Amino acid sequence: MAIITDDLMDALREIINIGVGKAAGTLNELLAHHITLEVPRIVIIHSNDLGEHISKRSEETLSLVTLPFSGQFSGLSTLLFSMDSASKLVDMLMGEEIPVGDLDAIKTGTLTEIGNILLNAVVGSIGNILNSRLSYSIPTYHVGSLRNILLPILQQESEALEVTTRFTVQSRHITGEILLLFKVGSFDSFIEALETAING
Amino acid sequence: MAIILHVDDSSFSRLQIGKVLKNGGHEIIPADNGKSALELLRTTTPDLIISDILMPDMDGITFLEILRNRGNTIPIIMVTADVQKDTETICLALGASALFNKPPNGDDLLAAIVQALGKGV
Repeated sequence: MAIITDDLMDALREIINIGVGKAAGTLNELLAHHITLEVPRIVIIHSNDLGEHISKRSEETLSLVTLPFSGQFSGLSTLLFSMDSASKLVDMLMGEEIPVGDLDAIKTGTLTEIGNILLNAVVGSIGNILNSRLSYSIPTYHVGSLRNILLPILQQESEALEVTTRFTVQSRHITGEILLLFKVGSFDSFIEALETAING
Repeated sequence: MAIILHVDDSSFSRLQIGKVLKNGGHEIIPADNGKSALELLRTTTPDLIISDILMPDMDGITFLEILRNRGNTIPIIMVTADVQKDTETICLALGASALFNKPPNGDDLLAAIVQALGKGV
């Protein structure tokens, strides 16, 4: 497995920041409210510890959108909201325009598309900087604990690079989190692309 | 006023973009993926198509490619969450009139529709 030097980690953090910044800009356009970002947290997790690592997270029921990506590097991008934040976000986005129909279906459809837009912004920006073309699978909406949702999806993953960043719509007390898990195997390719981007 | 086939699997985006199109005085025919859009095109001839890319059953790039291979010259504008630079290059090479990232600016989208309708493929 590739070694991540301090310089590489710094570059990685900056590239993630640019991607999350693009997503925040998009959310800002959709909501017309300022979005506050936190510095991304990057952790390398070994396969044996991945389940335990995810399990340590809160058992809180969350609203999640997952968007798998593949290409020179592959992985899973996830957008997480508390149920309360998810409801507030849908209310803000739909306003008084909620059409007649199943409210749960409308909420699911809206959150899935927001996940699609924001996660594409993050992952696509990273791909652009690293000159790596990526393919996406269809985004999927889930409700449940992080462990119950992610562990079955991640069972076939090996080592992973976990990137977590939080963003807040302070005026409405909405907080979301973007979680990127890069598969190792493709992780080495990711680091190679990163080194190329740094060194030219 | 134009008749626009709007292809997007997201009800949220169909609603948001649909509002822009209606404000621009356009009539909308909705479809939720490339496959159902191809079915609709057997019986309908819109003036222009707006298509998402990442959709189940048939994605927007495959849909665009099939239409052009069949010699269909209806102008197509792609509206997608995919921000990758070469996605735009690929779509324009396949004969799309323009590509917008979601959420598109309403005025810019309406202007692109006017331009695409005037120019054709």
